[in-house]
Amino acid sequence: MNISKIANLKFFYTKTEKIISFLSILTLFLFIAGIYWGLFVAPEDYLQGNSYRIMYIHVPAAWLSLQTYIFMAIAGFIALVWKIKIMEIASVQSASIGAFFTIIALVTGMIWGKPTWGTYWVWDARLTSELILLFLYIGVIVLYASFSDKRQAVKITSLLAIIGLVNIPIIHYSVEWWNTLHQGPTVTKFDKPSAHISMLLPLLYMFLVFNLYFITVIMKRIRLGIYMRERNSKWMKEYTND
Amino acid sequence: MLKIIVQKELSVYFRNLNNIFLPLIFFFLIISIFPLVLGPEKKLFDKIIPGIIWITTILTTILTSNNFFKDDFNNGIIEIYLTSDSSIELILFLKIISSWFFTCLPIIVFIPLVSVLFNISFDSALVILATLIIGTPVLISIGIFGSALTMGLSKNNILIPVIVVPFYIPVLIFSASAIEAVSIGLSYEMQIYILLALLLLTLPIMPYLLKYTLRLSINN
Repeated sequence: MNISKIANLKFFYTKTEKIISFLSILTLFLFIAGIYWGLFVAPEDYLQGNSYRIMYIHVPAAWLSLQTYIFMAIAGFIALVWKIKIMEIASVQSASIGAFFTIIALVTGMIWGKPTWGTYWVWDARLTSELILLFLYIGVIVLYASFSDKRQAVKITSLLAIIGLVNIPIIHYSVEWWNTLHQGPTVTKFDKPSAHISMLLPLLYMFLVFNLYFITVIMKRIRLGIYMRERNSKWMKEYTND
Repeated sequence: MLKIIVQKELSVYFRNLNNIFLPLIFFFLIISIFPLVLGPEKKLFDKIIPGIIWITTILTTILTSNNFFKDDFNNGIIEIYLTSDSSIELILFLKIISSWFFTCLPIIVFIPLVSVLFNISFDSALVILATLIIGTPVLISIGIFGSALTMGLSKNNILIPVIVVPFYIPVLIFSASAIEAVSIGLSYEMQIYILLALLLLTLPIMPYLLKYTLRLSINN
């Protein structure tokens, strides 16, 4: 075992505690500000009224759900090729965050669908792809959970994540193509008018806040992963006893 | 070496003829449950029988590729393969092919009987055959990949389908739409070409991927 790698984990664990608590508070305040901006300051949509405002949660969550998968696969690739321990932990820990973003995107999408489409769920290309993405995340999570040897589990799930990333475009485009064939007659699609800048700015802001949230949570979860892996090591006992 | 391996694979299948007949019987069992559940209305079945055939094929391939590497792993044969001189990629490729030969080919051979049972028109039956011939090797190799991922686990029965089925989706979409296109008189060549592309993408890569996965699973 290489000493520098353990030192790396130790360095991360001991140095990031304060940064994370600062980031958590910062994210909370920026999030509240973004919600206020989106819900009260941004103008009403002339077609959808106020119901469009759920977009300020839905769209960033949907973007982040895909971005987290890319992060997970790239971290897994680095972990497999260069055997960097912290990337192993990052890859595994980001799976449940990604699944969380996917569920948020699905649920808010359903809530938005009720007043807009008249039903909670339609088998529309985007909703279906998002659902499949959730299943891909669940596959990674259950695969990791079913191994008792966690170091082995990390290698296998990283491989699955990489293969999944290669497949996501294929799945996405086939679902999109499928949807153009079966255009449901009950779904009334609005022409998408290009949104005004005063609506887009809060959206962009919320996207940045969601990214900040992701960074905070992934750092927190990496610390947790380091603790789970190194809790019997000498430095961890010394550090936690202080 | 290769000849011995092929002989071993074939004799494993032939020694126990259940390996060939059970998937086929399972296929027919599931197929014949659908009219019992949905009612024997002809108009309904004209529309959904291609989907039923594909779903039943998926169930059969999942069940058969589930414990693909289990015996070889427990016997230690995988380690011998990985350390042997001959090309393990070729061995894995032959294993995929033989697995397809004994689980999917019987189903494909009996598709004419199914199409008689469900009054499928000749054109549709041809396209169903074509999509099955092109699509099932992809399904089998993805299933085998799932079984390689979970090789080290003692209990993995329901785990592999959960991991693997999302990867089946492109094959399913294009097969179903080819069959639908022919039944309403549209051209279905494009879907067949895409299925061929998926096949030609999966089959050459899969042995290398499997080799890498097996290495990962063995080196604890």
